[in-house]
Amino acid sequence: MVDENTDVIQGTLDMLILKTLSLEPMHGFGIARRMEQVSRGVFRINPGSLLTALQRLERAGWLDSEWRQTKNSRRAKYYSLTRAGKKQLEIETADWTRRASAVARLLKAEA
Amino acid sequence: MNPWRSLIYGLRNLARRKSREREIADEVEQYYAEAEAELIERGLTAEEARRTVRMEAGTISVVRERMNTYGWENAVSGFFADLRFAARQLMKHRAFTLTAVLTLALGIGANAAIFTAIDSILLAPLPYNNPSRLAFLNTHWSDSGYTIPRVTGLDMIGVRDQTKSLAAVSLYWSGRLSVELCNHATYTELSWVDVNFARVFDLKPIAGRLFTEAEANQAALVSEQFARDNFGSAQAALGQVLHGDVGSAAVEIVGVVPAGFDFPSKTQVWIARPLIQPQWDGRNAFNYRAVALLRPGVSFKAAQAELDAISQRLQKIYPDDNRNKRITVVSLAEALTGNARPTLLLLWATVGIILLIACVNVTHLQLVRTMERQREMAIRKALGSSRWQIMWPVLLESLLLAALGCAAGVLLAVPAVRILVTMAPKELPRAGEIHLNGWVLAFTMAISVLTALASAIFPAIRAAKVNATEAMKHDAARGMSRKGATTLRDGLVIAEVAATFVLAVAAGLLLRTMFTLMNRDLGFETRQMLVVDADAPAQTADDYQRVILQFNELFTKLSAMPGVEHVAGIMGLPMGNYGSNGSYTPRGGLSVDPHHRPWANWSVASPGYFQTMNIPMLRGRDFNAQDTADNPFVVIISESVAKQSFGNADPIGKQIQCSLDGDKWMTVIGIVGDIRQDSPADKPGPALYMPMTQHPYYANQINIVLRTGVKPSTLMNTVQTMIAQANPQIAMRFTTMDAMVNESVTTQRFRAALISLFAAVGILLSMLGVYGTMAYTVAQRTFEIGLRMAFGANRAVILRGILRHAAMLACIGIAVGLVLSLMLARLVAAMLVGVNPIDPISLSGASLLLLLTALAAASAPGWKATHVDPLAALRAE
Repeated sequence: MVDENTDVIQGTLDMLILKTLSLEPMHGFGIARRMEQVSRGVFRINPGSLLTALQRLERAGWLDSEWRQTKNSRRAKYYSLTRAGKKQLEIETADWTRRASAVARLLKAEA
Repeated sequence: MNPWRSLIYGLRNLARRKSREREIADEVEQYYAEAEAELIERGLTAEEARRTVRMEAGTISVVRERMNTYGWENAVSGFFADLRFAARQLMKHRAFTLTAVLTLALGIGANAAIFTAIDSILLAPLPYNNPSRLAFLNTHWSDSGYTIPRVTGLDMIGVRDQTKSLAAVSLYWSGRLSVELCNHATYTELSWVDVNFARVFDLKPIAGRLFTEAEANQAALVSEQFARDNFGSAQAALGQVLHGDVGSAAVEIVGVVPAGFDFPSKTQVWIARPLIQPQWDGRNAFNYRAVALLRPGVSFKAAQAELDAISQRLQKIYPDDNRNKRITVVSLAEALTGNARPTLLLLWATVGIILLIACVNVTHLQLVRTMERQREMAIRKALGSSRWQIMWPVLLESLLLAALGCAAGVLLAVPAVRILVTMAPKELPRAGEIHLNGWVLAFTMAISVLTALASAIFPAIRAAKVNATEAMKHDAARGMSRKGATTLRDGLVIAEVAATFVLAVAAGLLLRTMFTLMNRDLGFETRQMLVVDADAPAQTADDYQRVILQFNELFTKLSAMPGVEHVAGIMGLPMGNYGSNGSYTPRGGLSVDPHHRPWANWSVASPGYFQTMNIPMLRGRDFNAQDTADNPFVVIISESVAKQSFGNADPIGKQIQCSLDGDKWMTVIGIVGDIRQDSPADKPGPALYMPMTQHPYYANQINIVLRTGVKPSTLMNTVQTMIAQANPQIAMRFTTMDAMVNESVTTQRFRAALISLFAAVGILLSMLGVYGTMAYTVAQRTFEIGLRMAFGANRAVILRGILRHAAMLACIGIAVGLVLSLMLARLVAAMLVGVNPIDPISLSGASLLLLLTALAAASAPGWKATHVDPLAALRAE
């Protein structure tokens, strides 16, 4: 079996985290699981990258965090989107869409 | 990312480090627990789940580490960890650290102290209003290139009337005189200033008001200090009356100026004088000094251009008097501090060299340390440290050393500055303003960092170049150290010796200057001479006549005192404060070019002056009781006057006219030897002596000189009582001629003392350098020396080898220093008296001193080498 690349496309991790959190506050593992599920296993997130990304986004003011009980009564750090985070998500989404469609057009033209 | 937010986060994390680490650990833990729980839910056993998660996501500790090192604050705490390591290293090598810190402290402290003086004197703006627009006017002759800091009143009328670039021009003169207040007399710095003075300096009295033009000679301003000292408060001074030398009549204090203002030269009292009127003064009477205020936005260059145009016009109107005469403008700061500049720059250069030597020493110490650490470096390199990672600890150690050195240096600088101010010659301008400040500290820190970098760069590069395999095999103690390292260390020692040599030569030259000055024939005898500044108040012509009579009686009484050999009075005592000078016209001698009339110092003396001073009477007679105002006016000339105005002819009986007071022709009655008037640095020059009895207006403010057979100071009290008996109103100050001569060379002494001190520090430092390099070499060559001794080498041969090496380094250093000294010699030429800047004695003295220093420094390690025990040395490893 050939190993498929499950890395997140470079530069999109922040956007994907923001998008994931735009639905509801989640803890780190919850985010990873959700991203894996929604991408149907295409993206597998390394906890090191994810957790440092969360630190970075929180520092940038796009995320808030608080410690809460999980469903199975563990203490977990829940992250939620701030207003600045929402705005950032819009910016990044628009940017990504613009670029992705450009890539798509180029690939189509090539074919 | 918002840097502010990042800063806050980082600081918060630094502050609660422990709880943050726990939080991160918890978060990672929880992540893994959730992941495992999910796998268990899918049916894996706990152990399988554990392994799967670890396999996919890596170990917990790696993730935790990654999160813990995120953010700038971790770089900072990493830095602190490195710093702690460096500090521990320094603690471990106490001798190295102490030597390096002391060396740096000396270098940095000396620089901080001198820079303090330079900053306060040359760089800080003057403590007056509009300091950058204040100007000072000079008179300059374009044909001779001669400039004097004075102006004539008539030229200034021209400037005042025509200038557009100067907002105000004020003329003044000043002196230290006695002032009589209601109940006592006091000596004080006094200036006569016109009404524009307050405009130039934008003076705002704290009490009372400024004087008006109509109040000339009737009103005065005093400083806050003077008001408080003499009347208790500024308000109390208003309306008080001053008598004495202050003018024709009583002068009323109308205003008090703030304490910080003391221009010119610490003036306490400013007396109103009238604006110059065209009918006064000659075009060649340079009686005034002039300050001006530039209009806002006008540059000194523009002002000079305008003054040139005005000077041109004056030259056209007065082709004789104003021939080649030009008014020049400089900033007031430059006028005040210009004289001190060369001395300060010399000192700055000197401490710069000291710092350089200190740097070389520390480089050297560091180099030795990196050699010792070679193996550590090699291991680091073998383990994969980058070049930068190897250099970093070396640089950091240097920075730490420099920080310690900086702190110690500043501590050293504080007392040093105080000593500097006390030692400073009284001509040193703005000495009272000298203080450490933020700029100086910033400068000190900057040079400390530079020092750190300069002294660490070689060792760091060398450390980074370590070849891991070579260094691990290599055994330094077997005397097989690499060629490059030795050359570099030798080079440093040579540089040190060369720099010290330059300092030693400078010190030698200045000391020889000092010695020359102190032992010069001044033209008179200085020993056993009591000098009294005697200042008798006089206003009317009768007063002046009475004062002369009193003085003459006093001279007779004083000379009868036991212990007193001769007594005389003099206005214009050499090395003294008073005195006058100017051009004169001879009649019956050589022909005189009206544009270049001969010049001489003018003095007014009592009979017996030459005998008292031991100035040789070459021909003719002294003044006597018959030389009164009713009889023909007489003059005694010095040898130079005879030569320059009468050539080979006999001057006795010829006539001379000068403008001391009036224009009477005076008959030459005697010729005396030349003297050095202002300081031993002067050339013996032309002088005219006139009798007190014929010039009463110059005879009330005199020096009384007493040639004594006993120690002069022992007579002080008796003399004081006798003068007070003769006239209680005479203000007196006592000193001796030796003290006056001493004082006249304070600038030279200041320079010589400081430079010698710095040269001594330099010698100490280079001694350390030579000692260090030799001790290190010997330590490294212990094995080799032991081997040679085992094969029967003589102790003397070994010692000679070491000393030869030291001598060779010293000689090369001296040769380099010699070349540098010859190149730099002309920089100090202007400060030397009686010594050639290329002085064989100073050069050979410095050479010998440095050679001996090097040999002395090398002898201890040399001695140690001859006592190497061959067996122990060979067994060492």
